[in-house]
Amino acid sequence: MTASEKNPQVYSRHLLGKRAEEQLARFDELLRGMMGSTENKPEALSGITVIEVGRANFAGIIAATLLGEYGAEVIKIEPPGGDPARKITPYGVNVNGVGLPFLMESRNKSYITLDLNTETGRENFKKLTDKAVVIIDALKPGELDSSGIGYRQLKESNPGLIYVAISPYGHYTSQGEKLSHIPDTDLTAQAESGYPSITGDPREPEPYNYPLKAGGIWAAWYMSAALAVAGAMTALFCWQTTGEGQMVDIATNDAITAWQGFQVVWGFTSEKPRDRIAGFDWCLYPYGFFKCKDGYVTVAAPLDQDFRGLLKLLNRWDLENDWRYVFDRTVDDVDKAEELRTELEKTLSKFTRDELTRKALDFSAKSARNPLRSRGFPIIVPTKEPKEVMQEKHWSIRNNFLKVDDPEGNEFIIPTAIPKMSATPPRVKSTKYGVGADNERIYGKYGLRK
Amino acid sequence: MSENYFSFTRQIFNTAEAAGKPEAFKGIRVLDLSRIIFGPVISRWLALFGAEVIKVEEPDEGDTWRLGTYWAKYRKDANPYFQALNPNKYFVGIDLKKEKGKELVLELAKKSDIVVENFRAGLAEAWGIGYTTVSEINPKIIYISCSGYGQWGPLRFFPSWDLIAQSMSGVARLTGFPGKEKYKLQDYYGDFLPGLFGVTSVLAALNYRAKHGKGQYIDMAQAEAIMRIMPNWTYMSVTGNDLESTGNVDPTMAPSNIFKTHDGHFVAIAIATDEQFSGLAKAMGMPELSRDKRFGDTLDRLKPENAAEINKIVEGWVPNKTENEVIELAEKYAFPAARVMDDWRIVKDEWRRERGSIVDINDEMYGEETSALPAAMLEKNPAKIKWLAKPLGYHNNYVLKKLLGLSAKEIENLRKEEVVGTWDNRVGHKPPPYYDVSKDPMFNYDEGKINDRK
Repeated sequence: MTASEKNPQVYSRHLLGKRAEEQLARFDELLRGMMGSTENKPEALSGITVIEVGRANFAGIIAATLLGEYGAEVIKIEPPGGDPARKITPYGVNVNGVGLPFLMESRNKSYITLDLNTETGRENFKKLTDKAVVIIDALKPGELDSSGIGYRQLKESNPGLIYVAISPYGHYTSQGEKLSHIPDTDLTAQAESGYPSITGDPREPEPYNYPLKAGGIWAAWYMSAALAVAGAMTALFCWQTTGEGQMVDIATNDAITAWQGFQVVWGFTSEKPRDRIAGFDWCLYPYGFFKCKDGYVTVAAPLDQDFRGLLKLLNRWDLENDWRYVFDRTVDDVDKAEELRTELEKTLSKFTRDELTRKALDFSAKSARNPLRSRGFPIIVPTKEPKEVMQEKHWSIRNNFLKVDDPEGNEFIIPTAIPKMSATPPRVKSTKYGVGADNERIYGKYGLRK
Repeated sequence: MSENYFSFTRQIFNTAEAAGKPEAFKGIRVLDLSRIIFGPVISRWLALFGAEVIKVEEPDEGDTWRLGTYWAKYRKDANPYFQALNPNKYFVGIDLKKEKGKELVLELAKKSDIVVENFRAGLAEAWGIGYTTVSEINPKIIYISCSGYGQWGPLRFFPSWDLIAQSMSGVARLTGFPGKEKYKLQDYYGDFLPGLFGVTSVLAALNYRAKHGKGQYIDMAQAEAIMRIMPNWTYMSVTGNDLESTGNVDPTMAPSNIFKTHDGHFVAIAIATDEQFSGLAKAMGMPELSRDKRFGDTLDRLKPENAAEINKIVEGWVPNKTENEVIELAEKYAFPAARVMDDWRIVKDEWRRERGSIVDINDEMYGEETSALPAAMLEKNPAKIKWLAKPLGYHNNYVLKKLLGLSAKEIENLRKEEVVGTWDNRVGHKPPPYYDVSKDPMFNYDEGKINDRK
């Protein structure tokens, strides 16, 4: 088997046997073709020009980056001083004055400067957008329109233009108009999405009992960017047959809510807000983090058969009677649920992360050979710290991290493009990021005035 | 242009006209073998924009998420959460473990443009319904396999859930206050974000195919999608340290936090630029702050000691203001602020109704429900909900008769051999108690009667 240790542990009996082996050998051949360099493979969006313009809005920046990973030619337009997004960075940490998120999302773009406050700047902008298929506008709603270079004006000379607008409340609706001056950030987009209101523990003292944002990542900005790309590519698919462009409007303040959808389901069926339930879950349990001997493990054994399996492997069948069914375990009463958590943690804390992971995997491997699967698949894994993840061999085999040496002699790591595709894999082709780095080439190529 | 910009946009995005607009993926057929969330949301996007999605489930057993309801609640014997994830799809019950079941699925794959699966890595291949088999009978197929860690590498057979992928990617220790309990990203973010990345890859492949006529295979890994959006790798490589949890503070913005208002609501304020900071300083009646050496420039303001200081100042100011006052000032002085909404306010929210991202629908089987459409609004080809998820095997006759051309007798034989089937008597699987499927022309797939109704 591919990229393999010998006799890898499998968790399905269907992966065993001669016939499965033959099928998987064919599959391996396909996978081997996907493992190597992406360099000589075609790109899905080659020949598509994307213009990116915005101010301190990473939803727009990331959307353009993702289109660039799929092969579009992305030209990022900045004011002569650069996009203030360049300074948005954890604790002010930067490389040559450029923040880390910008470095991470700078790939595959051409960087030019245009002053849209001048007549020449606007003329140049129009020359570019006349040649473009997609524009990403992450400025204030109506800002380009009032300069005479918004969707209404640009589609006159380029009816095929796909105009992707990204803003907190969107480019239409009365609230969008009323609050159009409020700029976008990830935190405010999370808040208006109601995301923090379902996280955290209301039993804690202030301010630890406050609604709690998703940590560590820009949960709303990345969701918005991916939505913008999905929207743009849906419009692009129509454009392929009709040649017609259209406007695609993204409200970052609604991205998480409307895509994940559970908040709407809950609100509609319960007609009240959801109470926060700390480390529990409304649909699944056990499904959370537990303390063990040397850190934390994550346990996912939510289905009834998985839960029975968990009790067996932990030798805690005594809990079966009270917590047998999923509706016993996902109770709305946190204090009651806490009883099960405490009992499980009592046993889990006697073992190390590795011991528990191994126990669960061995159990599942045996389970897999049972045609009725009645023993379930309780899963336990170490709750990994990012620094542990970075050392994981699996990710280096899959080339998930790319080391960049920039011309100034700085070294840093960025995550590579995902996913893996057999014909048109997304990829990182360049990593430059300087303000106006491509002025000369792009000004020449598109006949822009200096 | 004399017409106000927002009057123009309101007209082109008029939600009252959305139903009559053409569908982006009309004529595209998707064979969806996936279950729970990560795979089904990929076909959800395609179904909302007009693709014909055939969702294959195991007879009697069904998609696990039919029972994945909150606090074991059902509505009209259905799980509203499952319904929200599977609109506009066709539900067919086929047993993939039977040879004849595989044959049916391969017949469907032959007539499809896209296949979605999220079995354990390699399992679809081992069953003989993987890309290598399907691409032989349908070379233009786009086939996406969704798994926890991808189809190759030492972790490939390792099992996954949203939360397991969160834990294996390292994001799971980052939500919470420093030194306090940590929390997961709620509502299965570890399924929905990777699912959305999956959508973009399928669409990239579809656009490529439209131009070059070639299909391809996609290996979509849940944990990889989460790792793609984490700043930790870059931060570690530059500083040698890792980023840790920061409560409600976004360490890339200062000030930034969630604050309590005078009227007991919560608001988020986050400042990304000098211009925004100067706006906030004016709104707080402290314009001199933007001339303060510690706060004037973004990179200085973000230094931990300065960020803590400015957060304290904002913390002293917000409790004197109501939620409305903060939002009005944010608009007036152009700084980022927002209410912390909750599920119930969201459902009642006029703004979302006007946008068309929350819609009331009237389903033939389930009546009136409220559901969500993605926040990406297309002017000319908008997403629509035509019907909610149906009972297990509800579209068997439609799929087997219309798409595969089987006779009633052949279907009856397959049913007897338990190759195809519908629900057993469980909630989440079966029709509502008041609904008589035997009189339903779609369930029986009586073409004449269906056309009459239109």
